[in-house]
Amino acid sequence: MALSDTLEHYVLLSSLIFTIGGVGFLVRRNVLVQLMSIELMLNSVNLLLVAFNRVHGATMGGQIFAFFIIAVAAAEVAVGLAIILSYYRLKSTVYTDEADLMRH
Amino acid sequence: MEALQKIFPANNFALLLLILGMPLIGAFVNGVFGKRLGKDAVRLMALSALGISFVGAVVSFLMLRAVQHESDLAARFVWHGWEWIGLSRAGEASFIHAGAGSNLIRLEIAFSIDALNGTMALIVTGIGFLIHLYSSSYMAEDPGYHRFFAYLNLFIFSMLVLILGDSLPILFVGWEGVGLCSYLLIGFWFDSEANARAGKKAFIVNRVGDFGLLVAMALLVRYTGALDWDGINAGSAGLLTEMRIWDGQLFSFLPDFITQPRSVSVATLVGLALFLGCAGKSAQVPLYTWLPDAMAGPTPVSALIHAATMVTAGIYLVCRLSGVFTLSPAAMLVVASAGAFTALFAASIALVQRDIKKVLAYSTVSQLGYMFLGVGVGAFTAGFFHVLTHAFFKACLFLGAGSVIHAMHARIHDTDASQDVNNMGGLKKYLKVTHATFLVSVLAIAGMPFTSGFFSKDEILYSAFTRSVVSERAGAFEWPSWAGSVLFAVGVTAAVMTAFYMFRVYFLTFHGTFKGWRIVPGWHEPHGHHDDHHHDHHHHSGPIDGPEPHESPWQMTLPLVILATLAAFGGFLNAAPLHIVPLEHWLEPLFSTLVEESRLHNADPDHALMMPLLVPGVLAFLIGTTVAWVIYIKQSGAPAKSLAERFPALYQLLVDKWRVDELYDELIVGSLEALAEASVWFDRWVVDGIIARLTALLVTVWGHLLRLLQTGHAQAYAAMMVLGMGVIGWFVAVPQPKVIVSGDAATGQYSLQAAPGLGYSYRWDSNGDGTFDSEDFGSTAQVTVRLDEGATQDVRLEVRNAFGRTRSGVYQLSRPRRDGSTAMLGHAHGVAGAGLDLSLDSDSTRGIR
Repeated sequence: MALSDTLEHYVLLSSLIFTIGGVGFLVRRNVLVQLMSIELMLNSVNLLLVAFNRVHGATMGGQIFAFFIIAVAAAEVAVGLAIILSYYRLKSTVYTDEADLMRH
Repeated sequence: MEALQKIFPANNFALLLLILGMPLIGAFVNGVFGKRLGKDAVRLMALSALGISFVGAVVSFLMLRAVQHESDLAARFVWHGWEWIGLSRAGEASFIHAGAGSNLIRLEIAFSIDALNGTMALIVTGIGFLIHLYSSSYMAEDPGYHRFFAYLNLFIFSMLVLILGDSLPILFVGWEGVGLCSYLLIGFWFDSEANARAGKKAFIVNRVGDFGLLVAMALLVRYTGALDWDGINAGSAGLLTEMRIWDGQLFSFLPDFITQPRSVSVATLVGLALFLGCAGKSAQVPLYTWLPDAMAGPTPVSALIHAATMVTAGIYLVCRLSGVFTLSPAAMLVVASAGAFTALFAASIALVQRDIKKVLAYSTVSQLGYMFLGVGVGAFTAGFFHVLTHAFFKACLFLGAGSVIHAMHARIHDTDASQDVNNMGGLKKYLKVTHATFLVSVLAIAGMPFTSGFFSKDEILYSAFTRSVVSERAGAFEWPSWAGSVLFAVGVTAAVMTAFYMFRVYFLTFHGTFKGWRIVPGWHEPHGHHDDHHHDHHHHSGPIDGPEPHESPWQMTLPLVILATLAAFGGFLNAAPLHIVPLEHWLEPLFSTLVEESRLHNADPDHALMMPLLVPGVLAFLIGTTVAWVIYIKQSGAPAKSLAERFPALYQLLVDKWRVDELYDELIVGSLEALAEASVWFDRWVVDGIIARLTALLVTVWGHLLRLLQTGHAQAYAAMMVLGMGVIGWFVAVPQPKVIVSGDAATGQYSLQAAPGLGYSYRWDSNGDGTFDSEDFGSTAQVTVRLDEGATQDVRLEVRNAFGRTRSGVYQLSRPRRDGSTAMLGHAHGVAGAGLDLSLDSDSTRGIR
């Protein structure tokens, strides 16, 4: 019972962090902050995976997936920062109001 | 002969492959390599191919003769190739002729040779060889030499396929093949618009006829169950079926003779459809208009294809399917009358034409009409005999005309002027051999006693008077009693005209004074393609300086001499008045197996009328000849001019060929063009104007709307994605009580299958009493309900999903009465109204397990 309660707490915490990340991505204008919001969402999923791994621990699948996500997130940030850098050189701004090049 | 029969047994007669194969090889070699081979090699290839083919035909003919001589039965040699098409009869329960027993109609690639097409093959390869020889000199200066011989060899191959094919589809392949070669050769000098147009015309007019042939094939498959000659004859009894062709019911407000339903026998339909095909290929009314235009091709082509061989394919087909044609007296009367009318009609046009080849072309149409008259009255031997004699004298006439044109080209290089008889005259002096052979052939076609044309034409006229086709069935169509006299009278009238116009051409061409001097004043030494013939004529002094017409080389005169000899003496193949009838003995066994004696009526079985009926024929020759002599020799053409001046309208109508071409232009071409115009209008204003613009407008509007969504902001896209995922999440979170009903109104058993879902469990109220069958949710996804007739019942389904949410739906099943107005027999759609009860049990949310 105690474990299940704890799991519930983990799920709630993870959902909270995910929501903060999601809302942050949708409403903030600064690209760097958006990138951070993405990190928040990814890490909330990591937290969830690790928490579930404690209940269904036999295969360690949750832990392994968490590592995968960390690695993918690192790669994603590297690419994302590069995009932001070249975008800044192009437009001299990091605010997404003006970032509508994808329309073309 | 015995050794030959061992090598080529009657049921595996591989000699046919040699006859067929040589021209094909010739066509291939000359067509593909001809340009590099040079003219000598092309000539050698083409002539040797035809020569070997001719020898093969002669050998086959002799073997047939030996067999037929021994047994007195119709001999026939067959070569079977491979199965070509299998037509399945499966699913067609009502094939009329079920004799074959099998459900498959096999069409074989097979060729056969018998008395009829053996004789035909001799004509095709023999006269074909002579005309090849002639062309080798006639076309010597033409840059398309190899192309010409490739086409010519291909034509011979196609023609042999046509006549030797053992079934209607193979004949059709040859039929189209000769049509193609005809098109290619008419338009041989395609750089002139008129020639290309003539080729197209021939091709398109023939398509109309081919339509008839295809229809006939379909009917034959349906009612005889076969398309090979033997099978058609074996199953021909099925052709006597009556077929309703006019169902008057639809037009009941119209007078009686329209509302009466009409039916004819299938044999009549098949006969008429086949005759449409024959009329196209053999240039009969109403499809004859292409043949005169076909004279645009080189003259040897006119001789070979458009006089001696291809155009007789229609007569061959009627003879070959005589067993089908004679089943229908009505169709035979149409054949005979169309033939007689064509003979008269075309002869009337030939009276006034100025172009020597046009006269010969209309004469060919007219003579083909005679042949159809002959076969139409059931005298197949007589009709076929005329094919034979006509091939001799008309090929000779055309080649003679070619020789004349060749000579005229010494002075005139314009095609029309060099073929105009008014520019000729007096050529007797310059073209001795051509003149003699031309005269012999003119006498033959005009019907001078004891020439070939005399015997064949008079036998047709005699048969037209005495013979008719009768039906074995009571109440069938019968020939009117005056049909014979009318056909005979028309035939004799046409014979008078034939004698007249042939002698008109002859006198204008060869007698009188040469008028060609005047045509090209200031004539210079020709350069180009006649130099080699001219140098020895330079010392002659004509009325005006310049080269004279000259005789053609031996390659052209030798065929003329041979053909003229045949034209003069070929009549003794079937000289009925003299009782010398080898051809009739030769063909009789075949036709007696094809046609039952009782269908052919002969009013004069003991030939008592034969001699009396010769008199009009001889008179026709004498009158026509004398009139032509008086007009064009005695009075040098003055009466012709005054007649033309006295009846200018009639004269102009004849010169304009009764304006049939113009009529067709107005009626058929015009209506097609009007249709095209209407289509263009529709396309421009309705399709392009309304439909296309409307579509474009719709797309534009939607494009504008959808473009608004494409802001380019990553956040907007992400927001939309979140929204979509929310909808999917809601769908997954809410249970879906969907049901597929299947059942049968006849038994009343309906089964309901609940839609599956992740973690779903179900409970049912299948008897409609308002309480669930079991309070617990279970895994039962299907229930079966039995209903009485006319009963209606509700079935309730409640679904619980993995989140513990429940939702229920109610389905109304009803079984229609057997006699009910809403009865849908077979499949019953049980759901009359699926009243979904959307009561969502929102209290049942529980924690995640």
